[in-house]
Amino acid sequence: MTLPSASLLAQGLALGVLTGGLYALLSSGLTLYFGVMRIVMVAHPAFLFLAAYGTYFLHVTTGMDPLLTMFITAPVFFLLGIGIQRLLVARLAPESLATMSVLLTFALALLIEGGLGVVATGSYRSVTVDYASSSLRMFGVSFPVDRLIGFGIAAVTLAALFLLLRATRFGRALRATIQHRTAARLVGIDTERVTGIGFGLGLATAAIGGAVLALITTFFPAAHWGWIGKLMAIIVVGGLGSIQGAAIAALLLGVVEGVVLVTAGATPAALLFYLFLFATLLLRPQGLFGGRLAERF
Amino acid sequence: MPNDSDRAVLLRRLLFVAGAAVLLAFPWLMPNSYFRYAGVLVLMYAALSTSWSLVGGFTGYVSLGHAAFFGIGAYATALGVIELRLPHVVALLGAALLTAVFAALVGIAAVRVRGASFVIVSIALVAMMNLIAQSARGLTGGSSGLRVPALLESLDRTSNHLVFFYLFLALLGVVLLTWWVIDRSRFGAGLKAIREDEDKAEALGVPTAAYKVFVFGLSAFFTALAGGLYGIWFGNLDPIFVFSIIVGANLVLMALLGGARHLLGPTLGAFIVVPAGEYFLIAFGETQAHIVASGLLLAIVVLFMPDGIIPAVRGLVRRFRPAATSIREQSQEELREVRR
Repeated sequence: MTLPSASLLAQGLALGVLTGGLYALLSSGLTLYFGVMRIVMVAHPAFLFLAAYGTYFLHVTTGMDPLLTMFITAPVFFLLGIGIQRLLVARLAPESLATMSVLLTFALALLIEGGLGVVATGSYRSVTVDYASSSLRMFGVSFPVDRLIGFGIAAVTLAALFLLLRATRFGRALRATIQHRTAARLVGIDTERVTGIGFGLGLATAAIGGAVLALITTFFPAAHWGWIGKLMAIIVVGGLGSIQGAAIAALLLGVVEGVVLVTAGATPAALLFYLFLFATLLLRPQGLFGGRLAERF
Repeated sequence: MPNDSDRAVLLRRLLFVAGAAVLLAFPWLMPNSYFRYAGVLVLMYAALSTSWSLVGGFTGYVSLGHAAFFGIGAYATALGVIELRLPHVVALLGAALLTAVFAALVGIAAVRVRGASFVIVSIALVAMMNLIAQSARGLTGGSSGLRVPALLESLDRTSNHLVFFYLFLALLGVVLLTWWVIDRSRFGAGLKAIREDEDKAEALGVPTAAYKVFVFGLSAFFTALAGGLYGIWFGNLDPIFVFSIIVGANLVLMALLGGARHLLGPTLGAFIVVPAGEYFLIAFGETQAHIVASGLLLAIVVLFMPDGIIPAVRGLVRRFRPAATSIREQSQEELREVRR
């Protein structure tokens, strides 16, 4: 085996950071659901591709810029999330919530995949716009513009989410609900309402992520399966329920993936996520940053 | 005069014998190749779903990843026959043992965590095996598939279905028997204790980790046997189908629909879901509508009858039977009988 050149490594590193940012955005939704409801939402990647298709069809039919579509899809997804939480997830019995919610969201993923397959067929789609198909060269490394845009959107969205959680009254209520539901109710927080909004926020991040994905990758209805493993690995490594943990794990895994991708190829890069997942469960089941919350899940 | 419970036992035995007779005669009643194929498929899924419920039913740990063991069993059997030139039976048993050991090793990582993380591990397992099978082209043929040598080259398709009908029926019988024995054993009681309250079970001295790892391996063993048989029966392996998370989800759906905590629940589920799935494939062909149907059915089961059909029907029967007598009334009646 020849050692990869420094420029190739730098390229892998750069791509890894950009992809890691996107992973951080996509896994933040999973962390929200887990935090507010203790559920693992297997359908998150399916919603991602539902949003990507929404972007595609809005772009194709109205000629709307793919980045503007998120101002339509995000509010729709937010309301959809509140509806799903109220009408479906809240009906599950609390004693078997963890596993039953996985099955329920799994069913949602199948419904979305099958529905997209019926409406849009199984063939590949992609959204191309002129400004996103070029790349910038800096320090001998090329940065694809679509990835840069994706990273920027992820950073802005995560910053907004962080501000919402840290600086607003609602954010305090949400964090309180995540930390201790009963105590939050005791101090007068309407935890049901907060939970619904938390779920809606999670789906809104899927809408934003979907628009980005539509811009940077090709997609088809069954594509969400490949993402489930990746995102799950990220939130387990980060520690279930910790937003910062997930973000750091996302960047970490993105960078390692980027480097492995340029040095060893696509299959080892994909397997790496599972390797991290199993290693985390064996060595540190609560994840890198998980605390009390993750212990019993 | 036989009382109610005697009559119920008699009725149940009659039903059992009649059901077994119909099953044994099925391939002869159905000389049509397609119906025999569907029959084999139903029995295979019944065996798979019952194997799944050794973990899912007894311990309550929901694995969406049993397709991983199915696939490992299938590929290991095929490779044993092709690469090592083993006889089919040896390859099959060896592959199943190998899968059981692998599952136990994974189980050690998986059972340290509970509920949600366990499901994540199981999903990851399938995705990982799919990736490996796709990329190890030299061994598995990748996405172009792996041809598995037939058990008897001279058999035509219809007779091949007949042979595998009985092989899968035998496998189903063995898995059901295993389930039945565990249900009545101390081991089974420990597994159920894990399901009800793992912390308390541990406090009471149940070796929870060892039990979970063992039953996980046992379940994988039977799942791999079904996978190996499938490979020999079907003659061709494709990673997309063999390591399919949808197959894994269908096993869960069958077990939950029928009733994962009942001996015949998963079998009942397979008898409903497989024909329904075949119908959807025929009616809607290549569209993705069958995935919608699976998703819808799974959502309905999870939301409205997570304990399955068997308890639901029992509840209905109980409600409409007026003669629901308390213990005291029964004993008074018996006393009157004695006095006469």
